[in-house]
Amino acid sequence: MTKFSKFNVFALVIGFTFLYLPIILLILFSFNESRLVTVWGGFSTKWYVELMHNQGIKDAAWVTIRVAFISSTVATLLGTIAGLVMTRFGNFRGRTLFSGMIYAPMVMPEVILGLSTLLMFVTLAIDRGMLTVTIAHITFSMCYVSVIIQSRMSSYDDSINEAALDLGCTPFRTFLLITFPIILPAIVSGWLLSFTMSLDDLVIASFTSGPGSTTLPMKIYSMVRLGVTPEINAVSTILVGLVTVGVITASLIGKRQKQQLAQS
Amino acid sequence: MTETTTTEPWLDSNQKPYIQIENVTKKFGDFTAIDNLSLDIYKNEFFSLLGPSGCGKTTLLRMLAGFERFTEGRVLVDGEDISEIPPHLRPINMMFQSYALFPHMTVEKNIAFGLKQDKLPAKAITQRVEEMLELVELTDFAKRKPSQLSGGQSQRVALARCLAKQPKLLLLDEPLGSLDKRLREQTQFELMDIQEKLEVTFVIVTHDQEEAMTVSSRIGVMDSGKLIQVATPTQIYEAPINREVADFIGDVNIFKGVYKGQDEKGTQLLSEDSKSIIYATQKADVPVGNKIWFALRPEKLEITKKLPEVDCNILKGKIEDIGYGGSFSTYHVKLENGRQLTAIRANHERTAEHYLTWGDEVYLHWVPHSAVVLLS
Repeated sequence: MTKFSKFNVFALVIGFTFLYLPIILLILFSFNESRLVTVWGGFSTKWYVELMHNQGIKDAAWVTIRVAFISSTVATLLGTIAGLVMTRFGNFRGRTLFSGMIYAPMVMPEVILGLSTLLMFVTLAIDRGMLTVTIAHITFSMCYVSVIIQSRMSSYDDSINEAALDLGCTPFRTFLLITFPIILPAIVSGWLLSFTMSLDDLVIASFTSGPGSTTLPMKIYSMVRLGVTPEINAVSTILVGLVTVGVITASLIGKRQKQQLAQS
Repeated sequence: MTETTTTEPWLDSNQKPYIQIENVTKKFGDFTAIDNLSLDIYKNEFFSLLGPSGCGKTTLLRMLAGFERFTEGRVLVDGEDISEIPPHLRPINMMFQSYALFPHMTVEKNIAFGLKQDKLPAKAITQRVEEMLELVELTDFAKRKPSQLSGGQSQRVALARCLAKQPKLLLLDEPLGSLDKRLREQTQFELMDIQEKLEVTFVIVTHDQEEAMTVSSRIGVMDSGKLIQVATPTQIYEAPINREVADFIGDVNIFKGVYKGQDEKGTQLLSEDSKSIIYATQKADVPVGNKIWFALRPEKLEITKKLPEVDCNILKGKIEDIGYGGSFSTYHVKLENGRQLTAIRANHERTAEHYLTWGDEVYLHWVPHSAVVLLS
């Protein structure tokens, strides 16, 4: 066992406090009996019940879940294809440009990404709504999926595919029976990652959404402007829970896959 | 000599080759991987392609499997031109160097994979898989995943998977490369047994010359995309056609010199390694005065303390190094002109180490018949 010095323990405590105290407080106060956010009035789940009756929040949650589901599914499909193209098709013409274009949304400030997407929709005269938010979410989460797929494919033994072809399997069936099942965990973790990213995006959504397509983070943000209520704490707690589950599942899948690779 | 026709079909002009590689060239950009190569392989042969890495042997194998298209030439299998047939339709199977087992399938499913692609009835598949598992002695491992197998077991699964489809031709890319020495030697014999039992034509790529010598009916020695010599292991070892082959296969002592003509003792060579003319029985088909070489395997050099009672091919030297190998010992002998030769002597007697020791003055000699005359 490594012995920690006093300074190490101190730094650790400060660091974790800084990171997690706000979230812990938020979760705690979501179970507060009192209407006052900063005064503890006893344990209660009444704000969660209240939440169930708040049509505005329920609508926003429904929009968010639909957007997240559709955008992560499409992003996974496109990102997987992009990742496969980058790793399996060698050095094709325009490869550098293509890879740059895939990675660009990752390093681009979200504000700029949101603004430029908004400008595009305005130019094309597309009414802002669910569709535009979904498209915007697809664009920025696709690159993360393609990165995950690329990293999986870099350790993929090409001769496995050749062996399948050699045994009489057509190229298409080889993808279906061999490549796809082997990289499925990476695809699933890509999907989970895009789902959670779509779930908690505020900036891009506020640029690209229109009336009737307010997402949950936007709703929370607008509610906060009228003062923090325990209801907001409750809905935020649910959101934190969802995102945590998503991210942990994605990383567990990745970890298991790495172990399997190490064994074989 | 009736046996010759069955075991050495390449000597019989009536035999039709099973695989005909005709003037095949493969270029990767400016680089020529295979240079106008032609080769005939006969049915039930165990043919080895041997050469240093980068000589094009794997490329040639991959072209037979259909993974690389060749720039020029064609390949016939059993009289049929397969040059344009994609890999999944070729009656050829390949065993990969990495074994390429499907990690998400059990041993059983791996072996059944090829049969399923042929849409065989389920019962026939099960039966064939069982046969194959028995052949490679892995019946107890049928339900395991590849990650739960040892290297030797994976190798056998890969072999069973290729053989399940009863291919006309089986290609093996460094099949034993990742096994340790002991297992490799054992597996070599297993491979030979299986090949004889199933009567499949094997083409194997290897860089291990010992392996090629042990398993093959014939060896093709390759370098820079060309076949230098195609012959039986014995011919390759005892009658290499040039210094490159002689040097690549096993150890060899080479004497450089000038051809001095022919007399009753054989071909005369004047070499700076010897004060007098040295002899080889084999004839040299070049004009007198040309540069030629004698190649002599270390075990053909006899090493003695006493002056041997022969009238030619005696060299005097001093033992520099002894490598004790159990059944034999390797001696490095320094000649008077500083040249070092290698001689191998079987350790007939248990006290052999006392007979010759470091710094001993010794005589090396060989019978003229043992030396090979090389013209290039």
